[in-house]
Amino acid sequence: MELLLQYLANGLVTGSFYALSALGLTLILGLMRVVNFAHGELYMLGGVMGWWATTRLGLDFFTGLLLVAVAMGAFGWLIDRFLIERIRDQGEEAGILLTIGLSIFLANTALLAVGTAPLKVEAPISAGPAFLGPIVLTKLRLFAVAVCALLIVGAWLTIHKTRLGRSMRATFQDPMAARLVGIRTANVYAATFAMGTVIASMAGMLLGSIYSAQVSVGGLVSMKAFVVVILGGMGSFAGAIAGGLLLGVAEALWGGYVATGWVDIIGFALVILTLVFRPYGLFSKRAERA
Amino acid sequence: MKFERNFLFGFLALAALVPFVVRDQYLLHIAIIVLFYAVLATSLNLVVGYVGEFSLGHTAFLGTGAYAAAILSTQHGWPMWATVPVAGALAAAMGVVIGAITLRLQGPFFVIVTLSFAEVLRLVADNWIGLTNGPMGIAGIPQPAMLAEAGNLGAKQFYYAVAWGVLAIALYLSYRFVHSNAGRAAVAIRENRFVAQSIGVRPLTYSMLALVLGAFLSGMAGGFYAHYISFVGPEMFRFAFMISMIIMVLIGGKGTLVGPLIGALLVTLLEEYLRETKELRLSIFGLAVIAIVLFLPQGLMGFAQRRRERRMPTAASTKLATPATGRAA
Repeated sequence: MELLLQYLANGLVTGSFYALSALGLTLILGLMRVVNFAHGELYMLGGVMGWWATTRLGLDFFTGLLLVAVAMGAFGWLIDRFLIERIRDQGEEAGILLTIGLSIFLANTALLAVGTAPLKVEAPISAGPAFLGPIVLTKLRLFAVAVCALLIVGAWLTIHKTRLGRSMRATFQDPMAARLVGIRTANVYAATFAMGTVIASMAGMLLGSIYSAQVSVGGLVSMKAFVVVILGGMGSFAGAIAGGLLLGVAEALWGGYVATGWVDIIGFALVILTLVFRPYGLFSKRAERA
Repeated sequence: MKFERNFLFGFLALAALVPFVVRDQYLLHIAIIVLFYAVLATSLNLVVGYVGEFSLGHTAFLGTGAYAAAILSTQHGWPMWATVPVAGALAAAMGVVIGAITLRLQGPFFVIVTLSFAEVLRLVADNWIGLTNGPMGIAGIPQPAMLAEAGNLGAKQFYYAVAWGVLAIALYLSYRFVHSNAGRAAVAIRENRFVAQSIGVRPLTYSMLALVLGAFLSGMAGGFYAHYISFVGPEMFRFAFMISMIIMVLIGGKGTLVGPLIGALLVTLLEEYLRETKELRLSIFGLAVIAIVLFLPQGLMGFAQRRRERRMPTAASTKLATPATGRAA
C-alpha cells in the first residue's frame, strides 16, 4: 500500500513534467495545426541555454530562466515569420517536413557546439529529501512541480485574459474574420509559435536542473509530448494536464508492478487506443479550444 | 505516361549494365544501396503520393521484413530465395493489421498513429529478447552457399542482381497498380475524398490496397537488406530510415513513379559525398530538407513539369483539365 502511494506520487510528479513539456506543443499543434517535430529540440535548446546561462554566465536560476524565455521567444518568432509562414496554407505535410528538417539541423548543430555529455543546470534549491507522510520526494521536485503549475496558470491567463490571447482565439476560430476586424494575424501566428517555444524551452531548463540537459533528448521529448497531446485532445489546456498526469501515473504503475523495460510502450499503446476509439482525445468535447 | 514508362525501362536497363562496367567493390556497394532505397522510396510513395496520407510508420514494414528474413534463416535455416518473398508477405500481413486501424484516421492523426506503430514495434524488437535477441540484434545471417567460392566482388555482384530484381518487381507492381482502376481510384481519394465517395469509391478499400502493396515491397527490401548486411537490430525501426525515405520521395516528387528513383539516387550519392564533412553532414542535411520544402514543394518532377508547361502553354491548358492524371504523364 505504501509502495502504491509512492508510485502514485512519483507518477504525478513525472506527469506534471510531461504536462508542461507538452503544453507548448498543444498550442502549436492544436491551434496552429503545425505538426511540430522540432518541439523536442526547442525543449533541448532551453536546457542547453539554461546550462550555459547558469554555469558559464554565472547567472542565478531565475535570471537564467528569464534570459532563456526571451531568447527562445525571439527565436520562435523568427522561425514562424521566416519558415512556417511560407507554408501556412499547404496542409500538414509541408509543416511536418519543415520541422523534421529543423529538428535535424538544431540537434546536430547543438551536438557540434556542446557535445553529447549531459549538462547540469544549476538548481535554485538543494536536492534534499522531503517527507510527506509515508511518501518521499526531493524538495527540488516539489519545487519544479510548483513552477510547472505557475507556468501553466500563466499560459492559461495569457490566452484567456489578455488582448493578445483574445486575438489568438479569434484568429484560430476564423482567420479571415479576424483579419477583417483588424487583427494582424501574421503577428498572432508568430506570437503563438513563440509562446509554444518559450514554454518548451522553460520546461527544458527546469527539468534540466532535475535530470540533466542532453542534446540527444529531443526525439524522446517530442514523442512523449505527442502522446500527451493526443491523449488530452488537441489545443486543450485541461486535456494536456490530464493527459500528462495520466501518462505519468500509468508509466509509474506499470514500471513499478509489471516491467521497467516496456515502460515506453504504454504511451504509444495509449495513443493507438485513443485514436481508434476517441480520436478527439479523452476529454475533449470536440469543439473545445483553448 | 509514355515518358514515365520509357524512363522506368531506361533506368532499369542502365542499372542492369552497372555491374558489367563497375569493378570497384565500394562503388558497387553504393549502387546496391541506391537500388535498396529506390525500392523503399517507391513503396512509401504508393502511400504518400497516391493515397495522399503522410505515413511516418513505413519502417514498421521494413523492420518486419528484415526481422522475418533474419529469424527464418538463422533459426529455421530457410534459404534466401524463400526468405525474401516470405518477408514481403509477412510485412504485407502487418500492413493489413496496421492499415485497418490507421487508415480510418486522416491528417495529423494518421501521421502520429503510424509513427506510434513503428515505435511500438521498435520497443518490441528491443525487449522481446527470446525472439529478436533484443538490442544485441541478430548477427550472422547466412549468405547463400554459392557465394562461398565467388569471392567478395562476386558476392557484391550477386547481391546487386538480387536488388535489381527486387526493384524490377517493385516498379512493375507499382506501375500496374498506378495505371489500374484501383490506382485511379486511390488518386481520386487523394484529390478529393468526398467526391470520390460520392461516385462510389470506398476510401478504405483502395488506400488499404496501396498500403499493403507498399508494405509488401518494403518488406522484401527489408529481407534483402537483412541478408546483404547480415545483421538486423532494432535500429531498423529507427526514425533515421524514415527520414531518408521521406526526403527521397519528396525531393524526387511524390505522386510520380519517376521521382522516388531520382530521389534515391540523389540522396544516397549526396550522403556518401558529404561523408567527408562528417560532423557538419547532418546539419547540412537538415538545412537541405528545409530548403526543399520552401523552394521545391512538388519535388524535382513537379519543377520539371512546371517548366514544361510554361514553355508549352497549349499543353498546359489540356493538363489543367485533367489534374489527377496530368501529373503522372
